[in-house]
Amino acid sequence: MAMLRRVKDKIKKIIKEKKRPAVGQRKPAEKRRAPRAAANKKNPPQAETVTKKEFIGTQEITVERAKFSYPGSMKVARPLPQELPGAYGKDKMVLNVRDPWWLYTFWEVSKGTFERVKQALKDAFHSAKKTLRVYDVTNVNFNGSNANRYFDIDIHHEATSWYIDTGGPNRSWCVDYGLKLSNGEFVTILRSNIVHTPSDGPSHITDEEWMIPDEMFGRLYGMGFGFGQSSPVGKAWQERMKRALFSGVLASPGITSAASPVKKRLPKDRNFWFVLDCELIVYGATEPNASVTVQGKPIKLRPDGTFTMRFALPDGKQVIPCKAVSFDQVEERAITPTVSRDTKREEKMLKEFTKGAV
Amino acid sequence: MRKGYLCIVLHSHLPYVRHPEHEDFLEEDWLYEAITETYLPLLSVFEKLVEDKIDFRITMSMTPTLISMLCDPLLQERYLKHINRLIELSHKEIERTAWQPQFQKLAIMYLNNFCKAREIFERYKRNIVTAFKNLQDMGKIEIVTCGATHGFFPLMDASKESVRAQIRVAAGHYESVFGRKPRGIWLPECGFAPGHDEFLKEAGIRYFFTDTHGVLHGTPRPKYGVFAPVYCKGTGVACFGRDLESSKQVWSSVEGYPGDYNYREFYRDIGFDLEFDYIKPYIHPDGVRISTGVKYYRITGTSDEKQPYEPEWARERAADHAGNFMFNREKQVEYLYDLLQKKPIIVSPYDTELYGHWWYEGPMWLDFLFRKMAFDQKTVGLITPSEYLAENPRNQVITPSMSSWGWKGYNEMWLQGSNDWIYRHLHIASERMTELVRGFPHAEGMLKRALNQALRELLLAQSSDWAFIMGTGTHTSYAIRRTKDHLIRFTRLYEDIKSNVLDMEWLVDIEYKDNIFPELDYRAHQ
Repeated sequence: MAMLRRVKDKIKKIIKEKKRPAVGQRKPAEKRRAPRAAANKKNPPQAETVTKKEFIGTQEITVERAKFSYPGSMKVARPLPQELPGAYGKDKMVLNVRDPWWLYTFWEVSKGTFERVKQALKDAFHSAKKTLRVYDVTNVNFNGSNANRYFDIDIHHEATSWYIDTGGPNRSWCVDYGLKLSNGEFVTILRSNIVHTPSDGPSHITDEEWMIPDEMFGRLYGMGFGFGQSSPVGKAWQERMKRALFSGVLASPGITSAASPVKKRLPKDRNFWFVLDCELIVYGATEPNASVTVQGKPIKLRPDGTFTMRFALPDGKQVIPCKAVSFDQVEERAITPTVSRDTKREEKMLKEFTKGAV
Repeated sequence: MRKGYLCIVLHSHLPYVRHPEHEDFLEEDWLYEAITETYLPLLSVFEKLVEDKIDFRITMSMTPTLISMLCDPLLQERYLKHINRLIELSHKEIERTAWQPQFQKLAIMYLNNFCKAREIFERYKRNIVTAFKNLQDMGKIEIVTCGATHGFFPLMDASKESVRAQIRVAAGHYESVFGRKPRGIWLPECGFAPGHDEFLKEAGIRYFFTDTHGVLHGTPRPKYGVFAPVYCKGTGVACFGRDLESSKQVWSSVEGYPGDYNYREFYRDIGFDLEFDYIKPYIHPDGVRISTGVKYYRITGTSDEKQPYEPEWARERAADHAGNFMFNREKQVEYLYDLLQKKPIIVSPYDTELYGHWWYEGPMWLDFLFRKMAFDQKTVGLITPSEYLAENPRNQVITPSMSSWGWKGYNEMWLQGSNDWIYRHLHIASERMTELVRGFPHAEGMLKRALNQALRELLLAQSSDWAFIMGTGTHTSYAIRRTKDHLIRFTRLYEDIKSNVLDMEWLVDIEYKDNIFPELDYRAHQ
């Protein structure tokens, strides 16, 4: 019997869990997953790792569901994974631009490819270092060996993505992921797409048809950034970067409601604060068909003749005449409470912190 | 004499936060707040200007996600409930503040605001997109489109098919709503990468905007800086660069108008300030305190002690600031006219939600500005990009530079430690979508529905908002969940389609949940 109950409870629990909406569960923020391979490894595709417990629950539900037969209920429900796959089993390397100086690349090497490389390199494989080779391919139709120059980056053994400091605005880049052998030889495993970093200043090219004096452009450039007529080219840009005069800093006002309002109230150093206010509730009851006024204003009674008024209570004295008149205007009752509030605020105090104080 | 033009651009966007599966969804409030505090107050300003026969021009982007939500019957129904609750709350507030006249007059002000919002909302039969369409048909506002779900294009450069889909779907959606093709586009986050103008051209879009450095760092150098549009080399699509001086006056948290001490304080809301049991029916049912929109204080100063808001003082300041803005534009235009020997265009883009929601007096400021510009000066005219191009068809040809209007001016806001993990998955999904389109060029029936839904899920996963929220580091769980959910649904669809086993029941369920773009055609992704 107890056994049966336990199974039933389990099913109930599982059903409850299933009912929970997939989106926007208001659980405390889940731990952010690191994008690196190490983290990915810990999260293999969930579809394949249905735990035993979940499996039991699924079975029970399927059986129970079969009782309530609808045309669609013959199918076995497939649980949708909650996490993304850690890998896609593809050889892939993608390169993106972050800004004029930095690139970002991510990659995946399929198991098969990795095994083939391992076998081909034999012993050399074990001393080989995982390396990114970054090619400057500006104005080059890149074939693997005609780059303007390249540099290598030793990367973490398990990395699957990397930020690359190129130091080179307005250049074209391509990246290889591969192995550097102990004899210095580089073996390419993956090659990325080619990207072009934007320029970090005005172009040096001034086309002939639209020739424009530098001095005038300097003034326009300064004005473009809103720093008056005399800003030297380049300085205005630096200034803008420094002051972070971009919209993102303000954050999108559309989502400001998500920001904590408490933050702004806090003093700089310590986060302690205290607010207090008072409200007054005036409530009563009379015949449901009577008419009642509070401070001269008519109020609405509940069907049972009761009423409640709520007031923010400022400092000072409040005289609150309340009057009830019977529906036939014959009888009248008046009750007048008087309430006063006097708030004292003591100086802010900062005691010295002593050990042992709770 | 007219010496130049001011082109104010308002970018209106919210991600698709429609959750039919749940009665009270915190994130849907983003939409309701924006309707009450921004879209309806702006509409009311524009309507009054038309009524008073004051000529004005404003350019507004309305993103397909926002339009879809504004046109959605479920969300309209929920908004009406929302505004009715606020009206009920303000009635209670008027009673509660009977002994505090300085607050009671504000409670009355909010009651009026909310009633007016409801009145306009109901007058347009709950669909306020109609109202904006009317204003566009009148020639007062020019509505431009955006990426279908506000995907950040520079980081989709390695999956160009997705950039194309974002633009195609958006242009198609625009046409179905506004009855004509979009003339211009606000690139999501103002993010441009050279080459994407090709897709704009394909969709018949004639202009877009970049941040200041998008034009100034273009090749070759732009002769007129950001004060005239340029044409993209190879496509001829026009590009307008942002003027930073005018932007700064409104945007900057330090020097900008919205920081004036007489303006309303955004952070003090009765949703957080009042006693729990009293306010409980108006915050989230779980008891999580949220903004109600009823805010009683002015910014006052830098300290935490806030004084009650005085609407009349704020109104005076809004008028002063409008005058100041106009004066500065006159001086700027006069100077530029002498320097360039042609009429400059000053492009000032802002987030629409800055007006009203963040900067309560923003709509009033715009109203003052348009009225003053009509009566008090003749130097600067208001113009839309289309009108400027019609008047000035000859422009320099350059390749604008990759840029965005986000933090540091490029892609870092959407590409940093907290959000870079998404691109691996987005990239694969995009590749798979292209593969599906190639594999099934003429799908019909169930298969077509599954393919269309796959594209919907991919587009929804691409919203830059998710990466943005992850990048800000607070309240990230929703953004992470949305990214994962859409990608997981996409992956399941991909696998089902590839193995030729479609799960009808489940497909219907996600079609119901992610119902955006009912007319979408999966072949847009190629």
